Amino acid sequence: MALTRESATAAPTAVGRREVVAQWLGTAARLGLAAVWAWAGAAKISDPAAAAQAVRAYRILPEGLVRPFGYGLPFVELAIALLLLVGLGVRIAAAVSALLLLVYIAAIGSVWARGISIDCGCFGGGGAVAASKTAYLQEILRDAGFLLLAGWLLWRPRGRFAVDTWLAEN
Amino acid sequence: MGRQESTISENKNPAKRAARERLAEERVREAASRRRRRNLTVVGVAVAVLAAAGVTGYLVQNSRSAPSRHAAPAGTTGQGDVVVPVGNQAAKATLTIYEDPRCPACGEFEKDMHTTINRLEKAGKVKIQYHVVSFIDRHDNGTGSKNAANALGCAQTAGRFHDYHDVLYANQPEETDDAWADQSRLTALAKRVPGLSTPAFDACVAKAEYAGWVSGVEENFDKSGYSSTPTVLLNGTSAFPTYNGEQISPATLTKWVEAADAA
Repeated sequence: MALTRESATAAPTAVGRREVVAQWLGTAARLGLAAVWAWAGAAKISDPAAAAQAVRAYRILPEGLVRPFGYGLPFVELAIALLLLVGLGVRIAAAVSALLLLVYIAAIGSVWARGISIDCGCFGGGGAVAASKTAYLQEILRDAGFLLLAGWLLWRPRGRFAVDTWLAEN
Repeated sequence: MGRQESTISENKNPAKRAARERLAEERVREAASRRRRRNLTVVGVAVAVLAAAGVTGYLVQNSRSAPSRHAAPAGTTGQGDVVVPVGNQAAKATLTIYEDPRCPACGEFEKDMHTTINRLEKAGKVKIQYHVVSFIDRHDNGTGSKNAANALGCAQTAGRFHDYHDVLYANQPEETDDAWADQSRLTALAKRVPGLSTPAFDACVAKAEYAGWVSGVEENFDKSGYSSTPTVLLNGTSAFPTYNGEQISPATLTKWVEAADAA
């Protein structure tokens, strides 16, 4: 009986400790990914024509969709950053993050495969560059790293300092 | 374990216990449905925020990038007035030249070729369509390309485009040095072109009078599919760095242009 009681009290503590660590990891992943999106979005806002050209340079979208994406996506990125920062709808924000990152990785891969020389325009800039100035592998690896953060949050969206957590407890 | 201890007294009344359990289950179900509703609301709010951001962003950027002023320099041609025409407009040979004022490769091209091009132009053998693009400002940050492109527009209105164009390339700063962010450098260089340095020109440069035109020319280049400068076309065929497999030089360019003009 004494043995049972001991294990019964010890187990929740271990689980609780793991849960606390997971929650703090979730907070770190959230704020990290929020910083990435905020930086990416903000860098593309000052010059709309450059943002449109960054999209156009991929030669994937028809001209009619170049501006909607070039103009709109940076603001979507900022909105994701905001949701992640306050921790509202973290799982859906993480899902949209993962989707966007997969699309970006696929687009960079497609440009690479087609032998087009551009800057990915991930954090502003973009457009044609000299063939020697392309950095497709680094860009894809970087996005894959961000994808890991999004994946963690999809799996464990709960974290400290999040509106979601506050809502769940009240 | 704790439950066993606390339910000893309740065991005496099975009916009461059943009712209490039903109530507890009900409460759990209600909590679950409340949680579901709350989760749905949160997802809805998040999706709405993302969609609203995208649409608002598009509308804001669209209105921001709509050129407020369509004023184009005098005598410009083509759709959107993006072309500065130079030379004998009746010539059969047309050189189309896309150049960025800050682009070092354009500076090299001008150093090697401007004497030849000017000679062919004076002989009436070629018309040149200049596209003054300004994308280096995006790559290297700054405003020098746009300022210089605007100043070239001002020079076009004053009827001194080609001379001022040659002066700018002869005095081009290093690509990474955004010297022409300072507009007074551009007005100072105008003093080297007879008749260009006037209060009207200086005001045109200082006020970036043709800023809308400059973005229009750049956008036209963005959409052209050409991605670097200088892009040089002879009657629509790329002529830089080679034309039909032959390297460009003062001699070969002269030969190509004369052949195209005689055709």
